[in-house]
Amino acid sequence: MTTCARDLVVGNERGIHGRVATRLAEVASEFAVVLQIRRAEETVECSSILDVLSLALVQGSEISVQAAGEQAEAALAAAAELITAQEDP
Amino acid sequence: MTEQAMDDNRQPVSRTLQGIGVSPGIAAARVLVMKRHAWRAGWRHLPDDHVEKEVERFLQAIRTAGAELAQLREKLAADLADALSIIDSHLLMLKDKMIVERTVAIIRRNSVNAEWALAQALSEIKERFEQIDDRYIRERYADIKHVADRVFGLLTGREHNGLGDDDLPVILVANDFSPEDALRMQAGNVLGFLTEKGGVTSHTAIVARSLNIPAVVGLEHATSILATGDLIILDGRTGQVTLHPEPSEIRRRQEGNRRNHAKADDLDRYIHLASETEDGYVVRLSANIEMRQELPAVLRYGSEGIGLFRSEFDYFQGQKPPSEEQLLATYRQLLETMAPHPVTVRTLDVGGDKFLHSFPGNGAWLDQERNPALGLRSIRFSLYERDLFRIQLRALLRASVYGRLRILLPLVSALNEVRQAKAVIAEVIEQLAEESTPFAANVEIGMMVEVPSAVVMADVFAREVDFFAIGTNDLIQYSLAIDRGNQYVAHLYEPFHPAVLRMIRQTVEAGHASNIPVSLCGEMAGDGLCAPVLMGLGLDELSMRPAVIPRIKRMLRHSRSNELRNLARQTLECEDSERVREFLAATLPHFYPKDFYQS
Repeated sequence: MTTCARDLVVGNERGIHGRVATRLAEVASEFAVVLQIRRAEETVECSSILDVLSLALVQGSEISVQAAGEQAEAALAAAAELITAQEDP
Repeated sequence: MTEQAMDDNRQPVSRTLQGIGVSPGIAAARVLVMKRHAWRAGWRHLPDDHVEKEVERFLQAIRTAGAELAQLREKLAADLADALSIIDSHLLMLKDKMIVERTVAIIRRNSVNAEWALAQALSEIKERFEQIDDRYIRERYADIKHVADRVFGLLTGREHNGLGDDDLPVILVANDFSPEDALRMQAGNVLGFLTEKGGVTSHTAIVARSLNIPAVVGLEHATSILATGDLIILDGRTGQVTLHPEPSEIRRRQEGNRRNHAKADDLDRYIHLASETEDGYVVRLSANIEMRQELPAVLRYGSEGIGLFRSEFDYFQGQKPPSEEQLLATYRQLLETMAPHPVTVRTLDVGGDKFLHSFPGNGAWLDQERNPALGLRSIRFSLYERDLFRIQLRALLRASVYGRLRILLPLVSALNEVRQAKAVIAEVIEQLAEESTPFAANVEIGMMVEVPSAVVMADVFAREVDFFAIGTNDLIQYSLAIDRGNQYVAHLYEPFHPAVLRMIRQTVEAGHASNIPVSLCGEMAGDGLCAPVLMGLGLDELSMRPAVIPRIKRMLRHSRSNELRNLARQTLECEDSERVREFLAATLPHFYPKDFYQS
């Protein structure tokens, strides 16, 4: 089991909205990892789309993303791409 | 008869209700009433041994809701990426711990009924979302509410809404339809719509028209008067709804339905065929639409692009003009869905009959104009309210990377307007380039030809723009000086006035002399009598309501280009509209079966 983390800045103009949050949850399940987003003191799990949405991550938000599982690195790379992209997935 | 009397007397007695007909056609079928359940979740304390049963009942409702959504997803065309993504996020919300685990915890901790617990969990979520500053994310709460509504409905034993496991044809009845309902309509076997709310321009009306499904709106209390399973006949032209019709009447109507369906099946064969004559002369057949919700209909009827997107709809939602991002989302979806076919977006066409009440601070058009049809409208309005125009142009140009965009300037009457509009576009392009915001280099800029001065000067205009789109609805009104909405003169509104036909010819010739394509996007384009004449006049594209495209394509595919040209030439020799009609009535039967051109 591997754990890895990365600091990222939200790129999407509309922030982490429904579509991005949906894809993040899918990444967590596809790679069978526990995917977490931490901003300041708050940490949420990406499997809960509502938790992720309620963090209200607008463009430019600085967050740290952590993945834990066999395929943690691949999952983190996929998540990072979703979070930093300006385009919708 | 009062509702009370109805309850007392369940004997079906035929009665007629009056709504507003918004999409013509007649449907006879049983109704499916989709009730919006008020969230009146009574609090019930449960005996200890019932708590786990209640949890199980709640989880069962979650599973059923998930199955319903999955079923809906199955039925949707795979090309509706956006719609599928909405359903995917709804499915995730349905499994979310803030809904599922939280509700279960509340049931257990308080020994209460699932409805009350769910309402609690939802209000906690609502509280969290209300604190969010970002409007776009905050508004996702509407989706959560929608998902919770579905579960709540299942818990309170609402009638099964899963559009028929048996797929029996139904007429849907609701207070109003949500976007998801609209998707459901496309997936299921729906013969008609009936709503309590709405007018001619409501979502339901527009979606119904583009799907060619009869619809009646504005029938108050429809969801209380009607019960699922009631038989009705709905007339989408007159707005009349007959409840418990006589059996003979139903049989007659259902027979008519079947005949119409058989006809539609025959027309469906043309959807995937090329739009060309027997000898390979191509006329592009594209769609006129006003909302992105009409895209499924556009795809359904085999349109090769959007010949006219009326961009006003986004401007009539809410108190403020739409943001650049909102517009971008609309345009992007249009372009992505239609690529590689072109999407022609007409810039804001307000003023005249479409009045913008909701914009604060725009005094000029709030002053009562004495003659709005000749007033500050369309391109004049955009050049007057430059900031609004710039926002729309930015959104358009930013969307241009997602497909093939054509920008269409409405109501151009003088060269200077085209030049000014192009100057604003150039400014916007420069700005985007400075910001390194991507946009396509090959965006075409065209103009509507709908004012007589534009026809007369068409050769000059043709050197300034990339394409012409003839708007016959306005061109007829302006050149014949007829207000179609005025009952005393409406009979003088005449597409077959030779002056109109000559103006179309002149515009086509001027366009082709400068090697630019010419399209036509008035009601004439989708009319079986007019279309062969228009094809013969050399128009490169006819743009019409999506649902009539297969019919016009059938006509085109049964034509030969030299015959069409001859037909147009002879039509132009007629001295008045009566002669034109006589000539066509005598000539068309030689080329086509009657039902090709008669409605």
